[in-house]
Amino acid sequence: MVSIQAAAVAPAAGMPSLLPPTVFLLPIVAGFVILAGGRRHHGFCRAIALLTALAVAVLAGWMAWLTVRGLLPGSTLPGVVLTAWRDELRVDALSALVMLVIGGVGLLATLYSATYLEHQPLLDRVGVGRAERRIAIFYALLVWFLGTMSWAAVTNNIVMLYVAVEATTLTSGLLVAFYWDRRGLEAGYKYLMLLTVGITFALFGCVVIYAAGAATGQLHGAQPLLISRVREVASLIPARSALVGVSLLIVGFGMKAGLAPFHPWLPDAHAEAPTPVSVLLSGVMINVALYALARTVSIFFPALPLLTVFLVALGSFSMLLGAVMALVQDDLKRLLAYSSVSQMGYVLAGVAVGTYLGAFGGLFHLLNHALIKALLFMAAGAVIYATGIRRVSSLGGLASRMPVTSACFIIGALAIAGFPPFNGFMSKLTVYLALADSGLWWAVGIAVFTSLVTLVAFVRPAMRVFWAAPASPDPALLASREVPVALWVPMVVLAAVCLLLGIAPGLAHGLLDRAAVLIATVGG
Amino acid sequence: MSTADLPVELIRTLSMTLVITSVLAVETRRLRFAATAYAAQALLIVALLTSFARVNPSLYWWAATALLTKAILIPYFLFRFIDRTQPVEVRPLVGFGPAVVVAAALILGFFRLTHTLVELLAPCGLAREETFRTNLAVAATVFVLGLYALLTRRDAIKTVIGLCLLENGVHLSLVSLAPDLSETALFGVASEVVVTVFLLLYVIEGVYREFGTTDTLRLKELQW
Repeated sequence: MVSIQAAAVAPAAGMPSLLPPTVFLLPIVAGFVILAGGRRHHGFCRAIALLTALAVAVLAGWMAWLTVRGLLPGSTLPGVVLTAWRDELRVDALSALVMLVIGGVGLLATLYSATYLEHQPLLDRVGVGRAERRIAIFYALLVWFLGTMSWAAVTNNIVMLYVAVEATTLTSGLLVAFYWDRRGLEAGYKYLMLLTVGITFALFGCVVIYAAGAATGQLHGAQPLLISRVREVASLIPARSALVGVSLLIVGFGMKAGLAPFHPWLPDAHAEAPTPVSVLLSGVMINVALYALARTVSIFFPALPLLTVFLVALGSFSMLLGAVMALVQDDLKRLLAYSSVSQMGYVLAGVAVGTYLGAFGGLFHLLNHALIKALLFMAAGAVIYATGIRRVSSLGGLASRMPVTSACFIIGALAIAGFPPFNGFMSKLTVYLALADSGLWWAVGIAVFTSLVTLVAFVRPAMRVFWAAPASPDPALLASREVPVALWVPMVVLAAVCLLLGIAPGLAHGLLDRAAVLIATVGG
Repeated sequence: MSTADLPVELIRTLSMTLVITSVLAVETRRLRFAATAYAAQALLIVALLTSFARVNPSLYWWAATALLTKAILIPYFLFRFIDRTQPVEVRPLVGFGPAVVVAAALILGFFRLTHTLVELLAPCGLAREETFRTNLAVAATVFVLGLYALLTRRDAIKTVIGLCLLENGVHLSLVSLAPDLSETALFGVASEVVVTVFLLLYVIEGVYREFGTTDTLRLKELQW
């Protein structure tokens, strides 16, 4: 096990860099290129989207390397903060961690969608004639979605953070409603409406915090818009104003992050969107929203001691409710969606403790949840691809026909339940330790109990789908076989990373350590 | 120029009329009329922003953006949508009588609350001045009316109008809370509302074609 101890960090110096603007402007330009050139050429759309996702992943890796190992000229302490546009954009280790999730999962999801979307039965659901036009729009929205999420991760301007997070809703709204049938439209309407209402609360919160920062008299002009500057004067902001702003932010970003009780949009959207989009929603987008919440709200932990307890309680409620709801689902994708509500609860509970250990555990679980949930959604998508069936009770005996998919699903199921030796075990253990360390034993109890519920919620359907005999000999089940290479390669990669991070969690330590220091505002 | 140069009476009148247009937009069941009330509100916001711009010239930008987005584009989308679907709102969850009482209670209660507790919302000197205090109270009232519309209306188009009111409330508060907001941020905030409304109406039109109604209570494919 890694020794989790904060490294002595000097205040990181800023280094002007072109990377932060490039990482979100590139996908936005690419989206227009796809729309301009790809109406009739699916291959062109696919190629541009794949290249863009690859570029984002490479840039994200580069930024992560620089924030951990980069050296300023004349300095010997490794680690820099990349800045651009007069500090409007700012990439520290926390942003780099989120960027790595966006880049990595984004690339695999794009690769996955290249084959998934061309599957005839799924295209038939869209309708003959419509599908042709939709493909180009799909890829354009997909890269815009990646671009807007990257923008949210790199911006340092609190109002622009709102703009970017809302932009992720707008770019993904039509992706959720992609199939344009009754289910898709209903999910799309709820998604756009609920998230926009929620995020308007967040705008109000951002503005209140900006006003409070400006009123301290320490910051001038546009400075109180910069999150990094507001952080410096947070102790001067009256606690009651901070509370008003923070409450609005919790409703706004919490809704986007899928935390209970603000989660009703999530199961619909995650289940009805095409699977590659589900992967991005569940694996990346809700993490970006939680990042926004952690980035802004953690500033005020020292001023509002009860806030941490309240947020841990909110996280505990979310984990328990999500897991119990997952237990009763018969739809494979809704099961995974409710599990996301539950896992975001763990991330929040960890981050909300406010200590270094809590932040480390929460962020580690954020990373792990992204990997595991992307894996599970891809495996569920593979089952749908091969059989066209989503109901657990109608499936059965797929293990012999789809060995890779079944192995990947079971790895994901064990990892998400926090079973050793997988990555979920390591991060959940850290969260338990952090909660216990802060004396929040009731939360430890809920968290451990939720893990057991999660295990049941996942193992039972996994057994049913892959090993039990099918309830009825559906011809679709008998005809099913393993999915094409382009679908199982991303799954195998994710499964391998899940195992690797479980055995050697030290691999992520450098980045997580620096990121955790940035939001650990409580304790020494 | 100091805040003493503000046309206080004009601002007060515009603010009060603004609240009335919100009530009309929420309560009228004829959708074209509700959209008109919304457009009227947008024009009032533009007028208000222009009056405030005397002390803060950057608000002229805000006023121009609001004119384009709120007074022209959004009403245009709303009218086009209403013409293609249905002219009268699906029956709301509460009847007209109780609705008026609730709306009045919300307005009085919330206006007073924000007006008295403005320091809580904005600990800055500007917001304590009477005109800005009124502006914040009106902003909060419009916000709450939008929320009320979202919670009690079952017609999808009415929920969109409710959402627009919600956004108007927040945008109005920017006058007092964020006087130094940059033009890019304003542009981002304003253009996003237009895109949101456009996308929502696009999806709702799809819902109307598939389900034959814009009644959100009939969206029952996905439960649990």
